[in-house]
Amino acid sequence: MAERQELTGACKNFEQDLVLYYYQDCSRAEQQQVEAHLEGCPSCRVFLEELKSLLPATVKPDEPTPAFWQNYSREMRGKLDKQESHGWAGAILSLFRPWPVPAVATAMILAIAVTLTFTKGRWTTETHPSPELVEMASNADFFESIDFLDSMDLLESVEGHDAQKSEPASHPL
Amino acid sequence: MISRRPEEFGDEELVTSAQQGERQAFEVLVERYKQRAYHIAFGFTRDREDAKDLSQEAFLHAFSHLKTFDRRSGFYTWFYRILVNLCLDFRRRKGRVSWESLDEKTEKGNGLEKIPNPGPSPDQAAMSGEISTRISAALATLPPKQRAIFLLKNNQGLSIGEIAAVMKSAEGTIKAHLHRAVMALRERLTELA
Repeated sequence: MAERQELTGACKNFEQDLVLYYYQDCSRAEQQQVEAHLEGCPSCRVFLEELKSLLPATVKPDEPTPAFWQNYSREMRGKLDKQESHGWAGAILSLFRPWPVPAVATAMILAIAVTLTFTKGRWTTETHPSPELVEMASNADFFESIDFLDSMDLLESVEGHDAQKSEPASHPL
Repeated sequence: MISRRPEEFGDEELVTSAQQGERQAFEVLVERYKQRAYHIAFGFTRDREDAKDLSQEAFLHAFSHLKTFDRRSGFYTWFYRILVNLCLDFRRRKGRVSWESLDEKTEKGNGLEKIPNPGPSPDQAAMSGEISTRISAALATLPPKQRAIFLLKNNQGLSIGEIAAVMKSAEGTIKAHLHRAVMALRERLTELA
Protein backbone atom coordinates (compact mmCIF):
# COMPACT_ATOMS: atom_id res chain seq x y z
CA MET A 1 0.00 0.00 0.00
CA ALA A 2 1.31 3.39 -0.90
CA GLU A 3 2.45 5.56 1.91
CA ARG A 4 0.51 8.73 2.28
CA GLN A 5 2.52 11.78 1.37
CA GLU A 6 2.14 14.90 3.47
CA LEU A 7 0.26 17.70 1.75
CA THR A 8 1.91 21.06 1.68
CA GLY A 9 -0.49 23.47 3.20
CA ALA A 10 -0.93 26.83 1.58
CA CYS A 11 -2.26 29.80 3.49
CA LYS A 12 -6.01 29.24 3.70
CA ASN A 13 -6.76 32.82 2.70
CA PHE A 14 -4.74 32.45 -0.48
CA GLU A 15 -5.67 28.93 -1.60
CA GLN A 16 -8.50 29.98 -3.89
CA ASP A 17 -6.51 32.93 -5.21
CA LEU A 18 -3.58 30.63 -5.97
CA VAL A 19 -5.85 28.32 -7.98
CA LEU A 20 -7.14 31.27 -9.99
CA TYR A 21 -3.59 32.63 -10.30
CA TYR A 22 -2.49 29.29 -11.73
CA TYR A 23 -5.27 29.52 -14.35
CA GLN A 24 -4.41 33.19 -14.95
CA ASP A 25 -8.02 34.08 -14.30
CA CYS A 26 -7.69 36.95 -11.87
CA SER A 27 -7.48 40.70 -12.15
CA ARG A 28 -4.16 42.54 -12.37
CA ALA A 29 -4.55 43.75 -8.79
CA GLU A 30 -5.25 40.22 -7.51
CA GLN A 31 -2.31 38.92 -9.47
CA GLN A 32 0.03 41.48 -7.88
CA GLN A 33 -1.34 40.68 -4.45
CA VAL A 34 -0.68 36.96 -4.91
CA GLU A 35 2.81 37.59 -6.28
CA ALA A 36 3.66 39.81 -3.32
CA HIS A 37 2.46 37.10 -0.97
CA LEU A 38 4.38 34.37 -2.78
CA GLU A 39 7.65 36.25 -2.33
CA GLY A 40 7.43 35.86 1.41
CA CYS A 41 5.59 32.51 1.72
CA PRO A 42 7.49 29.30 0.91
CA SER A 43 4.53 27.02 1.62
CA CYS A 44 2.34 28.85 -0.92
CA ARG A 45 5.18 28.65 -3.45
CA VAL A 46 5.34 24.87 -2.97
CA PHE A 47 1.54 24.67 -3.29
CA LEU A 48 1.69 26.56 -6.59
CA GLU A 49 4.43 24.27 -7.88
CA GLU A 50 2.27 21.28 -6.98
CA LEU A 51 -0.60 22.71 -9.00
CA LYS A 52 1.73 23.27 -11.94
CA SER A 53 2.81 19.64 -11.96
CA LEU A 54 -0.55 18.11 -11.08
CA LEU A 55 -3.15 19.95 -13.13
CA PRO A 56 -1.68 19.61 -16.64
CA ALA A 57 -1.51 15.87 -16.01
CA THR A 58 -5.26 15.75 -15.51
CA VAL A 59 -5.83 16.81 -19.11
CA LYS A 60 -6.02 13.63 -21.05
CA PRO A 61 -7.61 14.56 -24.34
CA ASP A 62 -8.85 11.81 -26.54
CA GLU A 63 -7.74 12.57 -30.09
CA PRO A 64 -9.84 10.51 -32.45
CA THR A 65 -8.72 9.87 -36.01
CA PRO A 66 -9.89 11.99 -39.00
CA ALA A 67 -12.06 9.04 -40.02
CA PHE A 68 -13.88 9.34 -36.70
CA TRP A 69 -14.64 12.99 -37.38
CA GLN A 70 -15.84 12.27 -40.91
CA ASN A 71 -18.11 9.61 -39.54
CA TYR A 72 -19.25 12.01 -36.81
CA SER A 73 -20.30 14.62 -39.38
CA ARG A 74 -22.00 12.05 -41.59
CA GLU A 75 -23.96 10.63 -38.65
CA MET A 76 -24.88 14.14 -37.54
CA ARG A 77 -26.27 15.01 -40.98
CA GLY A 78 -28.29 11.79 -40.93
CA LYS A 79 -29.71 12.60 -37.52
CA LEU A 80 -30.57 16.15 -38.60
CA ASP A 81 -32.29 14.77 -41.73
CA LYS A 82 -34.33 12.45 -39.57
CA GLN A 83 -35.27 15.23 -37.18
CA GLU A 84 -36.26 17.55 -40.02
CA SER A 85 -38.34 14.90 -41.78
CA HIS A 86 -40.28 14.35 -38.61
CA GLY A 87 -41.18 18.06 -38.64
CA TRP A 88 -44.95 18.57 -38.70
CA ALA A 89 -45.79 14.91 -38.73
CA GLY A 90 -43.80 14.50 -35.53
CA ALA A 91 -45.54 17.42 -33.92
CA ILE A 92 -48.96 15.96 -34.69
CA LEU A 93 -47.97 12.44 -33.72
CA SER A 94 -46.50 13.69 -30.50
CA LEU A 95 -50.01 14.60 -29.39
CA PHE A 96 -50.86 10.92 -29.38
CA ARG A 97 -47.84 9.83 -27.41
CA PRO A 98 -48.65 8.36 -24.00
CA TRP A 99 -48.28 11.50 -21.92
CA PRO A 100 -50.47 14.00 -23.84
CA VAL A 101 -53.52 11.76 -23.72
CA PRO A 102 -53.95 11.74 -19.92
CA ALA A 103 -52.81 15.37 -19.84
CA VAL A 104 -55.51 16.45 -22.28
CA ALA A 105 -58.10 14.31 -20.49
CA THR A 106 -57.17 15.85 -17.14
CA ALA A 107 -57.35 19.33 -18.61
CA MET A 108 -60.80 18.62 -20.03
CA ILE A 109 -62.08 17.25 -16.73
CA LEU A 110 -60.71 20.29 -14.92
CA ALA A 111 -62.32 22.62 -17.45
CA ILE A 112 -65.68 20.90 -17.01
CA ALA A 113 -65.36 20.99 -13.21
CA VAL A 114 -64.47 24.69 -13.22
CA THR A 115 -67.29 25.48 -15.64
CA LEU A 116 -69.85 23.62 -13.52
CA THR A 117 -68.58 25.27 -10.32
CA PHE A 118 -68.76 28.81 -11.59
CA THR A 119 -71.93 28.49 -13.58
CA LYS A 120 -73.91 26.69 -10.89
CA GLY A 121 -77.49 27.95 -10.92
CA ARG A 122 -77.21 29.57 -14.29
CA TRP A 123 -78.00 26.38 -16.10
CA THR A 124 -81.47 26.05 -14.48
CA THR A 125 -83.94 27.98 -16.64
CA GLU A 126 -86.37 30.27 -14.89
CA THR A 127 -89.58 29.19 -16.60
CA HIS A 128 -92.97 30.63 -15.73
CA PRO A 129 -95.57 27.95 -15.06
CA SER A 130 -98.18 27.56 -17.72
CA PRO A 131 -101.83 28.60 -16.89
CA GLU A 132 -102.88 24.92 -17.01
CA LEU A 133 -100.36 24.07 -14.29
CA VAL A 134 -101.56 26.99 -12.15
CA GLU A 135 -105.13 25.75 -12.45
CA MET A 136 -104.08 22.22 -11.59
CA ALA A 137 -102.24 23.48 -8.56
CA SER A 138 -105.30 25.41 -7.35
CA ASN A 139 -107.38 22.22 -7.66
CA ALA A 140 -104.88 20.29 -5.61
CA ASP A 141 -106.82 21.00 -2.38
CA PHE A 142 -109.93 19.59 -3.94
CA PHE A 143 -108.16 16.39 -4.94
CA GLU A 144 -106.61 16.11 -1.47
CA SER A 145 -110.05 16.42 0.17
CA ILE A 146 -111.38 13.71 -2.12
CA ASP A 147 -108.56 11.47 -1.07
CA PHE A 148 -109.38 12.27 2.55
CA LEU A 149 -113.02 11.37 2.06
CA ASP A 150 -112.08 8.12 0.40
CA SER A 151 -109.93 7.33 3.42
CA MET A 152 -112.82 8.09 5.78
CA ASP A 153 -115.15 5.73 3.80
CA LEU A 154 -112.58 3.02 3.99
CA LEU A 155 -112.18 3.41 7.76
CA GLU A 156 -115.93 3.36 8.32
CA SER A 157 -116.35 0.22 6.28
CA VAL A 158 -113.55 -1.47 8.21
CA GLU A 159 -115.06 -0.45 11.54
CA GLY A 160 -118.54 -1.67 10.49
CA HIS A 161 -117.12 -5.01 9.45
CA ASP A 162 -115.34 -5.39 12.80
CA ALA A 163 -118.53 -4.51 14.73
CA GLN A 164 -120.51 -7.22 12.95
CA LYS A 165 -117.86 -9.75 13.79
CA SER A 166 -117.72 -8.85 17.49
CA GLU A 167 -121.57 -8.67 18.11
CA PRO A 168 -122.26 -12.41 18.83
CA ALA A 169 -119.48 -12.54 21.35
CA SER A 170 -120.99 -9.66 23.31
CA HIS A 171 -124.17 -11.65 24.20
CA PRO A 172 -124.07 -13.16 27.69
CA LEU A 173 -124.51 -16.96 27.96
CA MET B 1 -20.13 42.21 -53.77
CA ILE B 2 -17.79 39.53 -52.47
CA SER B 3 -19.68 36.46 -51.37
CA ARG B 4 -18.32 34.67 -48.35
CA ARG B 5 -18.29 30.99 -47.66
CA PRO B 6 -20.55 29.87 -44.78
CA GLU B 7 -17.47 28.88 -42.76
CA GLU B 8 -16.44 32.53 -42.72
CA PHE B 9 -19.62 33.72 -41.05
CA GLY B 10 -19.72 34.48 -37.35
CA ASP B 11 -21.88 32.50 -34.95
CA GLU B 12 -24.58 35.17 -34.87
CA GLU B 13 -24.99 35.25 -38.63
CA LEU B 14 -25.06 31.47 -38.79
CA VAL B 15 -27.64 31.30 -36.03
CA THR B 16 -29.82 33.85 -37.86
CA SER B 17 -29.61 31.83 -41.07
CA ALA B 18 -30.28 28.58 -39.23
CA GLN B 19 -33.29 30.13 -37.50
CA GLN B 20 -34.61 31.05 -40.95
CA GLY B 21 -34.41 27.40 -41.91
CA GLU B 22 -31.00 27.14 -43.54
CA ARG B 23 -29.76 23.74 -42.47
CA GLN B 24 -26.35 24.32 -43.96
CA ALA B 25 -25.73 27.20 -41.56
CA PHE B 26 -26.38 24.93 -38.60
CA GLU B 27 -24.06 22.29 -40.05
CA VAL B 28 -21.29 24.90 -40.08
CA LEU B 29 -21.90 25.47 -36.36
CA VAL B 30 -21.70 21.71 -35.82
CA GLU B 31 -18.36 21.57 -37.63
CA ARG B 32 -17.11 24.53 -35.63
CA TYR B 33 -17.97 23.14 -32.21
CA LYS B 34 -18.02 19.37 -32.64
CA GLN B 35 -14.50 18.78 -31.34
CA ARG B 36 -14.93 20.96 -28.28
CA ALA B 37 -18.33 19.42 -27.60
CA TYR B 38 -16.90 15.94 -27.94
CA HIS B 39 -14.01 16.66 -25.57
CA ILE B 40 -16.33 18.05 -22.90
CA ALA B 41 -18.53 14.99 -23.18
CA PHE B 42 -15.49 12.73 -23.13
CA GLY B 43 -14.34 14.38 -19.90
CA PHE B 44 -17.60 13.17 -18.34
CA THR B 45 -18.01 9.79 -19.95
CA ARG B 46 -14.41 8.66 -20.56
CA ASP B 47 -15.93 6.63 -23.38
CA ARG B 48 -15.61 7.51 -27.05
CA GLU B 49 -19.03 6.27 -28.19
CA ASP B 50 -20.87 7.80 -25.25
CA ALA B 51 -19.08 11.10 -25.81
CA LYS B 52 -20.00 11.08 -29.49
CA ASP B 53 -23.65 10.25 -28.76
CA LEU B 54 -23.94 12.89 -26.03
CA SER B 55 -22.36 15.66 -28.10
CA GLN B 56 -24.54 14.78 -31.10
CA GLU B 57 -27.60 14.75 -28.88
CA ALA B 58 -26.66 18.24 -27.70
CA PHE B 59 -26.47 19.46 -31.31
CA LEU B 60 -29.84 17.91 -32.13
CA HIS B 61 -31.35 19.53 -29.05
CA ALA B 62 -29.87 22.88 -30.06
CA PHE B 63 -31.20 22.46 -33.60
CA SER B 64 -34.72 21.69 -32.48
CA HIS B 65 -34.76 24.56 -29.96
CA LEU B 66 -32.92 27.12 -32.08
CA LYS B 67 -36.04 29.25 -32.43
CA THR B 68 -36.15 29.69 -28.67
CA PHE B 69 -32.54 30.90 -28.52
CA ASP B 70 -32.94 34.53 -27.45
CA ARG B 71 -29.29 35.64 -27.97
CA ARG B 72 -28.91 36.91 -24.43
CA SER B 73 -25.73 34.85 -24.43
CA GLY B 74 -23.47 33.69 -27.21
CA PHE B 75 -24.39 30.58 -29.18
CA TYR B 76 -21.54 28.55 -27.70
CA THR B 77 -22.53 29.52 -24.13
CA TRP B 78 -26.09 28.43 -24.84
CA PHE B 79 -24.91 25.28 -26.55
CA TYR B 80 -22.41 24.44 -23.76
CA ARG B 81 -25.25 24.78 -21.27
CA ILE B 82 -27.28 22.23 -23.20
CA LEU B 83 -24.28 19.93 -23.43
CA VAL B 84 -23.27 20.22 -19.78
CA ASN B 85 -26.86 19.55 -18.69
CA LEU B 86 -26.95 16.45 -20.86
CA CYS B 87 -23.61 15.35 -19.43
CA LEU B 88 -24.82 15.87 -15.86
CA ASP B 89 -27.98 13.96 -16.72
CA PHE B 90 -25.89 11.19 -18.25
CA ARG B 91 -23.91 10.93 -15.03
CA ARG B 92 -27.11 10.76 -13.02
CA ARG B 93 -28.46 8.03 -15.28
CA LYS B 94 -25.30 6.00 -15.31
CA GLY B 95 -24.53 6.54 -11.65
CA ARG B 96 -21.30 7.70 -10.27
CA VAL B 97 -18.31 5.79 -11.56
CA SER B 98 -16.63 4.49 -8.50
CA TRP B 99 -12.91 4.47 -7.95
CA GLU B 100 -12.85 0.66 -7.88
CA SER B 101 -15.07 0.11 -10.89
CA LEU B 102 -13.02 2.46 -13.02
CA ASP B 103 -9.79 0.70 -12.05
CA GLU B 104 -11.37 -2.63 -12.80
CA LYS B 105 -12.56 -1.36 -16.17
CA THR B 106 -9.08 -0.19 -17.04
CA GLU B 107 -7.46 -3.43 -15.99
CA LYS B 108 -9.82 -5.35 -18.20
CA GLY B 109 -8.69 -3.28 -21.16
CA ASN B 110 -11.99 -1.55 -21.71
CA GLY B 111 -11.38 1.93 -20.50
CA LEU B 112 -8.84 4.62 -20.18
CA GLU B 113 -5.74 2.91 -21.45
CA LYS B 114 -7.06 3.32 -24.99
CA ILE B 115 -6.66 7.09 -24.67
CA PRO B 116 -3.50 8.02 -26.50
CA ASN B 117 -0.88 9.99 -24.64
CA PRO B 118 -1.22 13.58 -25.81
CA GLY B 119 2.51 14.24 -25.80
CA PRO B 120 3.43 14.79 -22.19
CA SER B 121 5.54 17.52 -20.71
CA PRO B 122 8.58 16.36 -18.69
CA ASP B 123 6.48 16.43 -15.54
CA GLN B 124 3.72 14.43 -17.12
CA ALA B 125 6.15 11.94 -18.61
CA ALA B 126 7.52 11.30 -15.15
CA MET B 127 4.15 10.09 -13.98
CA SER B 128 3.56 6.39 -14.25
CA GLY B 129 0.66 4.91 -16.19
CA GLU B 130 -0.93 3.91 -12.94
CA ILE B 131 -0.90 7.48 -11.68
CA SER B 132 -2.49 8.68 -14.93
CA THR B 133 -5.23 6.15 -14.49
CA ARG B 134 -5.71 7.25 -10.91
CA ILE B 135 -6.06 10.84 -12.06
CA SER B 136 -8.99 9.83 -14.21
CA ALA B 137 -10.46 7.84 -11.35
CA ALA B 138 -10.01 10.81 -9.02
CA LEU B 139 -11.78 13.03 -11.55
CA ALA B 140 -14.62 10.54 -11.68
CA THR B 141 -15.15 10.82 -7.95
CA LEU B 142 -15.77 14.58 -8.05
CA PRO B 143 -19.38 15.68 -7.61
CA PRO B 144 -20.91 16.28 -11.07
CA LYS B 145 -21.13 20.06 -10.84
CA GLN B 146 -17.57 20.39 -9.55
CA ARG B 147 -16.38 18.12 -12.27
CA ALA B 148 -18.20 20.10 -14.96
CA ILE B 149 -16.64 23.33 -13.72
CA PHE B 150 -13.21 21.76 -13.46
CA LEU B 151 -13.40 20.35 -17.01
CA LEU B 152 -14.65 23.62 -18.49
CA LYS B 153 -11.77 25.46 -16.80
CA ASN B 154 -8.94 22.98 -16.91
CA ASN B 155 -9.62 21.23 -20.22
CA GLN B 156 -11.55 23.82 -22.20
CA GLY B 157 -9.92 26.96 -20.87
CA LEU B 158 -13.17 28.86 -20.37
CA SER B 159 -12.97 31.91 -18.14
CA ILE B 160 -14.74 32.02 -14.78
CA GLY B 161 -17.25 34.45 -16.32
CA GLU B 162 -17.97 32.12 -19.22
CA ILE B 163 -18.41 29.13 -16.92
CA ALA B 164 -20.74 31.18 -14.75
CA ALA B 165 -22.82 31.94 -17.85
CA VAL B 166 -22.87 28.29 -18.92
CA MET B 167 -23.75 27.02 -15.46
CA LYS B 168 -26.08 29.93 -14.69
CA SER B 169 -24.30 30.50 -11.38
CA ALA B 170 -22.56 33.40 -9.72
CA GLU B 171 -18.85 33.81 -10.39
CA GLY B 172 -18.12 33.44 -6.68
CA THR B 173 -19.85 30.06 -6.67
CA ILE B 174 -17.84 28.92 -9.67
CA LYS B 175 -14.58 29.99 -8.03
CA ALA B 176 -15.49 28.13 -4.84
CA HIS B 177 -16.39 24.95 -6.76
CA LEU B 178 -13.21 25.12 -8.80
CA HIS B 179 -11.16 25.57 -5.66
CA ARG B 180 -12.86 22.60 -3.99
CA ALA B 181 -12.37 20.43 -7.10
CA VAL B 182 -8.66 21.24 -7.28
CA MET B 183 -8.17 20.60 -3.58
CA ALA B 184 -10.05 17.29 -3.76
CA LEU B 185 -7.99 16.15 -6.74
CA ARG B 186 -4.77 17.19 -5.06
CA GLU B 187 -5.68 15.26 -1.94
CA ARG B 188 -6.73 12.14 -3.85
CA LEU B 189 -3.61 12.13 -5.93
CA THR B 190 -1.29 12.75 -3.01
CA GLU B 191 -2.77 9.67 -1.34
CA LEU B 192 -1.30 7.67 -4.19
CA ALA B 193 2.17 9.11 -4.19
